[in-house]
Amino acid sequence: MSEETKTVDTARPVARDEMSKWQWTWKEMKKNKTAYFMLAPFLLLFIIFTVLPVLLSIILSLTDFNMLEFPNWKGIDNYIDLFLNDDIFMLAVQNTLIFACITGPVSYILSLLVAWFVNELPPKIRAVVTLIFYAPSISGQVYLIWKTLFSSDAYGWANATLMDLGLINAPILWFEDAAYVMPLCIVVALWTSLGTAFLSFIAGFQTVDRSMYEAAAVDGIKNRWQELWFITLPTMRPQMMFGAVLAITNSFGFGAVVDALCGFPSVDYAAHTIMHHLNDYGGQRFEVGYASAIAVVLFIVMFASNILVKKALAKVGE
Amino acid sequence: MKKNVFQRVVCMLLSVTLLLGAVSVTSFAAAGSASGEKLKVNGTAATLEEMQALVGTVSYKEYIESYANSTVGSAPEVIYVFDVDNNNRVEGSSMPSNGSGNQLYVSESADCKTEDWENFYTDASKSEDNALFLPTTVKDGNNVTPGSATWTFNVTKEQQGFYYLYIEYYNPQITDPNSTSKSSVSSIQKKLYIDGKVPFDEVGTLIFDKHWSYNNYKEGTPEPTTATEASSKIRYEERDDGYYKIVDLVYKEGNNWFKRTDTYKMTQDINGNSMSPLAEESSEWSTFISRDASGFEEGYFKFYLPYGTRTFTLESEREPMIIKSIRFVPAAAANAENATESLDYEDYLKNSIIAAAPSVSGDFIRLEAEFPDFVSDSSVLPGNSNDNAANYPIKAGAQMFNVIGKTSYDAVGQWAAYKFTVNKTGLYKINMRYKQSALEGMFICRTLKLVGGNQYKYGLEDGTPTVPFAQADQIRFDYNKDWQSDYLGDGTHDYFEFYFEAGEEYTMYLECSLGDLSNYIKKVEDALNELNEAYLKILQRTGASPDANTSYDFHKAMPEVLNTLIDSATTIEQVIKDLEAICGTKGSHLATLETIVRLLQEMGANYGVDIAANLTTFKSHLGTLGSWVNDSKKGTLIVDSINIVPTDASEDTLKKLPKAKAGFFKSFGFEISSFIHSFFTDYDQMGLTEIPEEGSTTVDVWLATGRDQSQIWRTMIDADDGFTDTYGHAVALKLVTAGTLLPSILAGKGPDVYLGLGSSDVINYAIRDAVLAVDGTAGQNGTAEYEFGAEDAKYFTTNYYKDASGNVVALADKDVLGKGDYFDSLGYTSISKSYMNTVCDLEHSTASDLASVNDKNTSYNFAPAAMNTLTLLDQTFGVPQTMSFAMMFYRMDVLAEIGKEVPETWDQLLDILPDLQMSNMTIGVTYVNALDFMMYQRGGNMWKFVSEEYDSKYAGAKIDLDSRIALDAFEFVCNLYTMHSLPVTFDSSNRFRTGEMPIVIGDYISIYNTLAVFATEIGGLWEFSSLPGSENDDGSYNYDSLASVTATVIPAGCDNIDAAWSFIQWQTGSFAQSTYGNRIVAVVGPAAKYETANLNAIEDLSWTASEKAAIRDQMANLNAIVNYPGSYIIARYMKFAFLDAYNNGANPTEAMMSYIEAINGEIVRKRQEFELPVIEENDDEALKENNQ
Repeated sequence: MSEETKTVDTARPVARDEMSKWQWTWKEMKKNKTAYFMLAPFLLLFIIFTVLPVLLSIILSLTDFNMLEFPNWKGIDNYIDLFLNDDIFMLAVQNTLIFACITGPVSYILSLLVAWFVNELPPKIRAVVTLIFYAPSISGQVYLIWKTLFSSDAYGWANATLMDLGLINAPILWFEDAAYVMPLCIVVALWTSLGTAFLSFIAGFQTVDRSMYEAAAVDGIKNRWQELWFITLPTMRPQMMFGAVLAITNSFGFGAVVDALCGFPSVDYAAHTIMHHLNDYGGQRFEVGYASAIAVVLFIVMFASNILVKKALAKVGE
Repeated sequence: MKKNVFQRVVCMLLSVTLLLGAVSVTSFAAAGSASGEKLKVNGTAATLEEMQALVGTVSYKEYIESYANSTVGSAPEVIYVFDVDNNNRVEGSSMPSNGSGNQLYVSESADCKTEDWENFYTDASKSEDNALFLPTTVKDGNNVTPGSATWTFNVTKEQQGFYYLYIEYYNPQITDPNSTSKSSVSSIQKKLYIDGKVPFDEVGTLIFDKHWSYNNYKEGTPEPTTATEASSKIRYEERDDGYYKIVDLVYKEGNNWFKRTDTYKMTQDINGNSMSPLAEESSEWSTFISRDASGFEEGYFKFYLPYGTRTFTLESEREPMIIKSIRFVPAAAANAENATESLDYEDYLKNSIIAAAPSVSGDFIRLEAEFPDFVSDSSVLPGNSNDNAANYPIKAGAQMFNVIGKTSYDAVGQWAAYKFTVNKTGLYKINMRYKQSALEGMFICRTLKLVGGNQYKYGLEDGTPTVPFAQADQIRFDYNKDWQSDYLGDGTHDYFEFYFEAGEEYTMYLECSLGDLSNYIKKVEDALNELNEAYLKILQRTGASPDANTSYDFHKAMPEVLNTLIDSATTIEQVIKDLEAICGTKGSHLATLETIVRLLQEMGANYGVDIAANLTTFKSHLGTLGSWVNDSKKGTLIVDSINIVPTDASEDTLKKLPKAKAGFFKSFGFEISSFIHSFFTDYDQMGLTEIPEEGSTTVDVWLATGRDQSQIWRTMIDADDGFTDTYGHAVALKLVTAGTLLPSILAGKGPDVYLGLGSSDVINYAIRDAVLAVDGTAGQNGTAEYEFGAEDAKYFTTNYYKDASGNVVALADKDVLGKGDYFDSLGYTSISKSYMNTVCDLEHSTASDLASVNDKNTSYNFAPAAMNTLTLLDQTFGVPQTMSFAMMFYRMDVLAEIGKEVPETWDQLLDILPDLQMSNMTIGVTYVNALDFMMYQRGGNMWKFVSEEYDSKYAGAKIDLDSRIALDAFEFVCNLYTMHSLPVTFDSSNRFRTGEMPIVIGDYISIYNTLAVFATEIGGLWEFSSLPGSENDDGSYNYDSLASVTATVIPAGCDNIDAAWSFIQWQTGSFAQSTYGNRIVAVVGPAAKYETANLNAIEDLSWTASEKAAIRDQMANLNAIVNYPGSYIIARYMKFAFLDAYNNGANPTEAMMSYIEAINGEIVRKRQEFELPVIEENDDEALKENNQ
């Protein structure tokens, strides 16, 4: 585009080369002002409610803000404390990575595979099956069923069954025992993870142009796997990206489910994630400055993994 | 994972073997040492004999059967136990005694509504026409006992036989001079003993109605008139300021004729929503005739009085009462009293006066149900129903009161009464527009009672209403999901005809009753009780998780259980069939029962092999059955209007009767209009009757409770003697969601007063200067701008009280709980062990002192424990509003059955535990509670004691969980769950209900409120008392429980501190707190008991005498964990340590010790944030120097 402009508009007094980058941008903006005008409402809201808070929290992370009093400047003290003095933060990082590394990829691949299988079904059955898989994530706090299932009471289903079978004699405190907390939470997380990403995959499968399969067959595709890898997946890269971003944010931001099941904080910090650590300092200890530092770190980690995933996805179909 | 589980299983098996050994060893050990002396001050726990007597009382049926063949004398006559009017008292009967010689008499002519005590005589000879005053409680020195009176009377051989019991009584609105309690919202309840024991179960507690009327009635001023005919005309008007019922009366008094106009007004707020009127007690003489308060037994109770000298005792449970006479009326002669054995309807019509009644025509009288003249209960209030456009009155977009029965008015015995006067003598029929959509496929009943008349009299002489004829005792209202409009009648009569005389004032009572339904409900309830017993028996054999594949040989071991199952199934099945036959349909309500029948049949068949497999389902079905009984007893009937229609009314008149349903177009228009209005309603102004003027001082008050609560405060603030009236400040009351306070303070938009902030938040906010100190010193760091006056401060402290003339006077040291310098040293008290011991000692020896401090002359409003939790570094930051604490609830029937006393110490508790566990029962206490109170019971403290020479800023600098006492307490609690196998997680209310958990320890207000509505079938079988105590070194016992408090605070940024302060004084004061507590129960129901922190207010709430004694008892044994910066970390790590000990079998001491450093570390970190001094490890010496 810019090349074109240059060659066509040679008669114009100011060429691309002669302008600074800012001047050029300004010129382009003026040219496309209608588009910017149309974009303005969203941009405004986005800046006020997303960009500004992020910037604000970066600034706050350098202070000792406590919600009620005027903050004092602390420099990078918060970050030093966070990385060098805070054992629980390190534990939280470890837990978060375990969560993210297991639930992220697994739920992503699971969503993709299930979507692929579901896509093969006749339309009417497909609608029903989609609903069944999607149900856990739309029904809000339905994961609380796990609380009943694994109730610590001797009358809880899991405990009662195990006691019936004679495997245990005293009820196990499922969600209050450090040995069970993490695995159970991961299972619940996977169960609820077939959400929006799954839906977008199904939509993605629908958009693939049928004629491309025919062309591929002519070109010598041998099996369904090759079809998936060379045709289907590359075609639906946007949906894959969308799903991946969701999977990352979900797996890093996984917190509410743990709170509801294990209480806050979980026993011995067994399922304490960065998100929990953030809530702990922000909500319970009123140390918003420190909490902001945690949030900034979490933001950077998420951002980095997004870039990583983007690169990985570029390799699909190659 | 798999390996992990396997290891666990093996370990569990091993440890359980060990545990069993350990339990048996400890139980022997405990049995040896449990003979310790009882040192409890005012223990309310029932003794074993009392519990067994209570549980073992016969039912009315058994009572009557046992006297079926008894001889009946030849000349029965009315036997007077006590009578004021007729001086014909039976010998020796006139002087009641309560042991302390504390009788009180009241002159009948005295106006009992005043608190004028000069009309009460302690000397019976002072007046001839006196009556007996029976107070709620009597105080003799330090003992507070329920008021009681005992009479003796003789029954001759000729007199012996069956009698009805009549008691003439008056409900006074007075403060007992001899105790601290005054009348409250609850009905009068007295225990009855004849010859020292309860004759039968149903009369264990007699319930006397009180009369209530709304405060919206205004009697007009009489004016002479020329009219010479009595008349009455009722009209309804919607005016700008409210909705009115106006009654124009012409009546004759003496020889002159008068007219007057009475008005009833339903006030409304600026949006047109009706505001609830206040039900006020109205004192009346009335006659109580003993009948079943639960509605199961039809008719009045018969008492058999055998020949000889009898004693008759009434003992107060709730509310004071004045008695004029107590008499036994022979059952056979009762017709003479026109009350007990009613006429058949046909006979009623045959009465010569009624048969000769002329036919009447003309207009009907419309009584809108939302304007009753009297109600039985302050909770029977008008309500709004906008579900049909034909309801009158109705306004789109507003909630005008147009019906009665939306809330309350559904329990047996509750009634609403309407006065009316007809203009022509003759026969009338009664039409009602109502909706009965609660009990699907079933019917509900109302009893219609009348009083009034001249030629033909309804009711007793003193105005007690009676049923006009037998059929009126149970008028049926069938189920329909829509509104109905129908005449009162029965199966054989389309409508009943009632005889009314012109110009006479009649009062019609509509009382909730069970009618025919009672038999069926009773059958199901009996079956439920038997099944509950069967469940416990099965449980004792199988345990909570039985093996589905074992038969357990029920047919050999407990054949009676199988019989119970089969019999109950048959009974319930028959009930289903009968009800189906009566109602014609089988609604969902009955279908619930069918499922249960099928399960029972399955379990009872085949020698009971299926019992084990179905036990869990069985348990949940028992709960369902309980709810079924509760639901069926509730007779919810929403009434819009009652119309008195002349029998020969013309067609045109009849057309004007309210229609059941509005026409299509009217409904459609109303719905559309409502929808549009919903966009324009300003919910912020809810309850505001006028928009406050610009410039007037308005106190901004926020609260985060429910709408009912907020409306009650609103009405109390606006009442005649309410806050605005007294102090002259308008109040803007706003209902906010919890958690709004913090951001609002941050944004500088906070309120002037916030109600109900938790104590830990108070401290959190205080240390950040977000709430103001309220105890006479400036805010922390001196930043708060307002300094409260010294007089204000004194109002709250325990050291001062207000004398009769309102002056603040200092109490002498000895009168105060704790020391005279108590408040001066608050900073230390919370950490000083020696101080705490002093307080504990004082508290134990002064449980009765509390009562003396509590008498009406002192303003000892708050427990020291409550104030402690709101105090930080010598300053108090809030005024306690609610206060709750753990207490012990127990099932008397279960304990009586296994023959165990209520434990008063932990030793005793552990002593009975093995017996309970042998029967697969257990005790419920949550470890979170136990960890804390056990430490304080043993004389420990959360915070390390720093010697008093130190600056008070060192308070809370270090945790004391590593002390010997704390570690011992911690280990004791851990052992409860590991060695003694108490369940860690459990559903206490359900298990308490089934009896599996006969002892539950927990927050008293929430457990009480749950049980009050959730488990009505075990009502009367449970009680609560203070916590079991722990033994101290000196052999005394400590029963401490820990208070949790919410407070009323003034957030920083308050605009008008003076006004805010006066609001707090008013709002946390005794009067406002007790009024609110009573009113919330009245509006929301018995499950809304309010846990006020105001000690004086508790006296006026509607607890029974024994409940109040138990609460007072625990309040004298109260402690609290004080909050300091970093407090939040403690509970967290204590929980971790406990779970480590429980889950992984770690040594409790080691588990706790491993977290001490982390806790102290966090506290130090947090203290440094606020620049408070910290104690370094082993730095005590340096600290001392530093301080000097």
